[in-house]
Amino acid sequence: MKGRLRGRALARAVVASVALVLLAGCADWGVNTGGSGGKVTLTYALWDAHEQIGYQASIAEFEKLHPDIQVNIENIPYNSYEQKITAEYITNQAPDLFWVNTPWLGTFVKDGILTNLAPKIKASHIDMSQYYPQLVTMHSRNGAIYGLPKDWDTIALYYNKAYFKKIGLTIPANLSWNTDGTGSFVTFLKQATTDTSGHNALSPQFNPGHVATYALGTYNDPQSGWGDYVAELGGKVIPYPYASTTSLDTPAFKQGLSFLTSTLTNDHVIAPGSETGPNANGNNLLTLFTEGQIAMWQAGDWNTTALKTAVKFPVGVAPLPIGPAGRVSIFNGLIDGLNSKTKYPKQAWELEQWLGSAKSEAILGSGGYVWPAIKSLDPLFQQYWAKQGIDMSAFLTEARGKVANFPVSSGMGAALLQIDNDLGPAWLGSASVSSAVNQAGKDGNYALKTGN
Amino acid sequence: MSVAAVTTGLGKPKSSEATPAADRRRIRTAFAFLAPSLVGVVLFLVIPVILVIILSLTQWNLLTPLKWVGFSNYANIFKYDAFGHSLLVTAYYVVLNIPIQTVVALGLALLLNNKLRGSAFVRIVAVLPFLATPVAMSVVWTWFFDPTNGIVNQLLGHIGIAGPAWLSDAATAMPIVAFANIWQYAGYNMLFFLAGLQAIPPSMYEAASLDGAGKLSQFRRITLPLLRPALLFVLVTGVIGSFQVFDTAFVLTNGGPGNATTVANLNIYNTAFQGFRIGEASAMSVILFLVILVVTVLQFTYFNRRTTYEMV
Amino acid sequence: MASVTTVAPTAATKSASKSGKTSVPGRGLRLTGYYLILLIIVIVFITPYLFSLFAAFKPLGDILGQSPARPPTSPTWANFRQIFTQDDFGRYLANTLLVTVILTIGQVTFSMMGAYAFAKMEFPGRDALFWMYLATLMVPNVVTLVPLYVMFAKAGLLNTYWAILLPYTLGVPQAVFLMRQNFMTIPKEVMEAARLDGCSESRILWRIVVPISKPIIITATLLAFVFGWNNFLWPLIVTNSNSLNVLSVGTANLNSNFADQWNLVLAASLVALIPMVILFAIFQKYIVRSISLTGINR
Repeated sequence: MKGRLRGRALARAVVASVALVLLAGCADWGVNTGGSGGKVTLTYALWDAHEQIGYQASIAEFEKLHPDIQVNIENIPYNSYEQKITAEYITNQAPDLFWVNTPWLGTFVKDGILTNLAPKIKASHIDMSQYYPQLVTMHSRNGAIYGLPKDWDTIALYYNKAYFKKIGLTIPANLSWNTDGTGSFVTFLKQATTDTSGHNALSPQFNPGHVATYALGTYNDPQSGWGDYVAELGGKVIPYPYASTTSLDTPAFKQGLSFLTSTLTNDHVIAPGSETGPNANGNNLLTLFTEGQIAMWQAGDWNTTALKTAVKFPVGVAPLPIGPAGRVSIFNGLIDGLNSKTKYPKQAWELEQWLGSAKSEAILGSGGYVWPAIKSLDPLFQQYWAKQGIDMSAFLTEARGKVANFPVSSGMGAALLQIDNDLGPAWLGSASVSSAVNQAGKDGNYALKTGN
Repeated sequence: MSVAAVTTGLGKPKSSEATPAADRRRIRTAFAFLAPSLVGVVLFLVIPVILVIILSLTQWNLLTPLKWVGFSNYANIFKYDAFGHSLLVTAYYVVLNIPIQTVVALGLALLLNNKLRGSAFVRIVAVLPFLATPVAMSVVWTWFFDPTNGIVNQLLGHIGIAGPAWLSDAATAMPIVAFANIWQYAGYNMLFFLAGLQAIPPSMYEAASLDGAGKLSQFRRITLPLLRPALLFVLVTGVIGSFQVFDTAFVLTNGGPGNATTVANLNIYNTAFQGFRIGEASAMSVILFLVILVVTVLQFTYFNRRTTYEMV
Repeated sequence: MASVTTVAPTAATKSASKSGKTSVPGRGLRLTGYYLILLIIVIVFITPYLFSLFAAFKPLGDILGQSPARPPTSPTWANFRQIFTQDDFGRYLANTLLVTVILTIGQVTFSMMGAYAFAKMEFPGRDALFWMYLATLMVPNVVTLVPLYVMFAKAGLLNTYWAILLPYTLGVPQAVFLMRQNFMTIPKEVMEAARLDGCSESRILWRIVVPISKPIIITATLLAFVFGWNNFLWPLIVTNSNSLNVLSVGTANLNSNFADQWNLVLAASLVALIPMVILFAIFQKYIVRSISLTGINR
């Protein structure tokens, strides 16, 4: 009896709360209409909750300057971002302006989702030379430009200062490597790898079965992992932008990969692929780094915020080693895509201009969110992190040096996913480099062919 | 092989003792009862499924106009997308998952079907995993199965065993995926067995024990036969769900190592939403559907052959 | 003690139900064994939750840099504060509650009606229709979402509560199948007697079938609730304003390729979990309750 009464009371409470939500929430039961009155409401999509805070500050400034435009930020989960933008585009629901990551850029361009901004850039007299030229190239095709560069990233080596102090080693400014395993980089990595009894990998007593700290942690990734070593041999994933076949069957590609998966792995100086994820995808490298199980973590600058919260020791950043073709980092950056079917092309362009302007990039840079794409503003970001105790200049040195653009082609997202899956066994030691690369080339080609 | 023929467990139509008018009224009532769910099923399931069958004969990336390609998608998915491998991987998963999951769920239900102090609490605890969201579970599994810092290997380390890299070892990855799924759904399936046990009148046990039947024979003669509807439900929906497993594999291994855990639905997802090859993904869906249909029909046939009078 | 009439054929229950009458030697030992098994079950099922509970009260740095088995050294509400103030989880919670309650009521009612028709009524095409229901379960829903999404767009329903609700509120095959299986075990004499007494079919359903089928109906209700509460992909696809976000989508937004905020994700998951646990705690006793209360064994 008591149970029944309580059940009824509960039912009443639920009904009441639903009614409350309906009344209070100005619930959306009707079809959504756009802005009201003379005011235009733009939707701006992004995928990172942390950077959203910086963007909100910037957009607040924009709204002050444009009282007739209101901007709603739509946060979309990263794993569903490309799909959702595409789905919304075909039903005319896509945001007016949205972040574009480079793996999807080619597909969005080919499908006509993005507006060519070249005429607008010309009409508004925007100085494109203020940006890193590689970023402009990355987002251009046949004279069309699909966005104003906003930020960039390079790959470098975060290192555990406490560990290197403990083993009495300093990191030389320039380390070099060769495909045959010679060069100062490999020797240095051996010095920086220690087993549980404190012997380093150069010592005859070194026990490879009980490594306490591997010198390096890197992983199966076209940007933060093998991509940089392949680039330092002059290799690429695709021969030229918007290519519909891969160039994985080049010696440079196989040599770059096998330097990591054979040379360094056999020397026991990098964390074994099986320790970094199901396909050596590096899921847990941050944890290995914070736990002191890797001394250096090869990663992009966007990890600094997470790193800063996680580590309990001082962190430094060293540049990548120098390969046969020089020191080459994969270079990447975001733009805002302007929906080619937007109802408000004029207002969306205003927002695009603002977010690509020195004022907005200064807000994001000085808040420590991203390296500004406008070269002259880079010190702002560097200063923010210097105050936090991390010297970020290695990333900048690389950006000012030789870089290789993140590959752009239609179907690239799918191709890279497939390539990583196929290269996984090479990292795990269950397949040879050449058979893994052959499979990756075959599947990558199919993804690019069907994507184009 | 008529579909209707294998669907016993439904009573045979009876035409006696009813006037045509009463029959018509009864049919009208039946359809009135059925109407809301029928509208829902047709609109939101049957029509999309028919469209998917049509899409499987086309090339489409959501944006370009549909292009008619006949049955070439059905050839391409085996040639280029390793769909055959995915089907085998899925079958392996089903074989690992279903027997253990069913036995564990039944065991939990039998163990917890009482009013002893504490069993209510354990019932809630057993269902907890079913309530979890996949995104939260991904980090939890890392805590357990990470090769270096995972709890499992640290515990093994204490007793001097070097545990494998569970999720990046082709031999252990799929069993771990299956284990995670059993953990997540054992309590969920327990619910159906619990509900089924409630429908067994206690008088049957009393009668049997008066006849001197032991517990094991009561279990075999009363509990199991009367649980058959629940068991059929658990097996049928369990097999259907296992053939379509996605979340656990996506979150734990994303198909790795290599393609060792690239189950069919993960392949479908990647083909549709990474490669935007909707036609190929549709063809995969149709084939997976046919596989599941055959297995389900077999299950029903088996259950019907063994149907006894208790099942209506 | 006389009310303990639920008897499952396990050693422990048998001995418990006899407890009022006779004292079985070794009963204490059996009970101890029983509770030992329960303890193992609890450990297996609850440990991961305990760890996520710990984590929800830790700062991100401690989650990444400490063993998950370690309770928070200085528990903090900061994660919860952040998701409710900086993010809009209050709103997501209200949205989720609204959607889930409506979805559950509709799904259970309509599925039950369908299940009754399939189990206890006769009409032409019944078997074929039932197989059609079942067959729709067998098609992977990843791809069917595409045409469904386009249909909702054509109907102008995207970005409304309707879009989130409609596909699951008119009854779903799984629930129909579940309840049909259970209704089939009701002896047909029960219905026939009622029909002879002149009862209408809806009276039979509501007055006879529903009361004796409470366990399965409550099971179906809980399942519908959990499904609605955790549903992710469909709400994500059909809504595009953060004001319509449900908890699952809001939680997924906390992670990105740049940085995972596990502290917030786990706090949000805990917020999402608590109402469901309460619901289960309240209703689980209706699933397992004495059969003598139902009136079936007159």
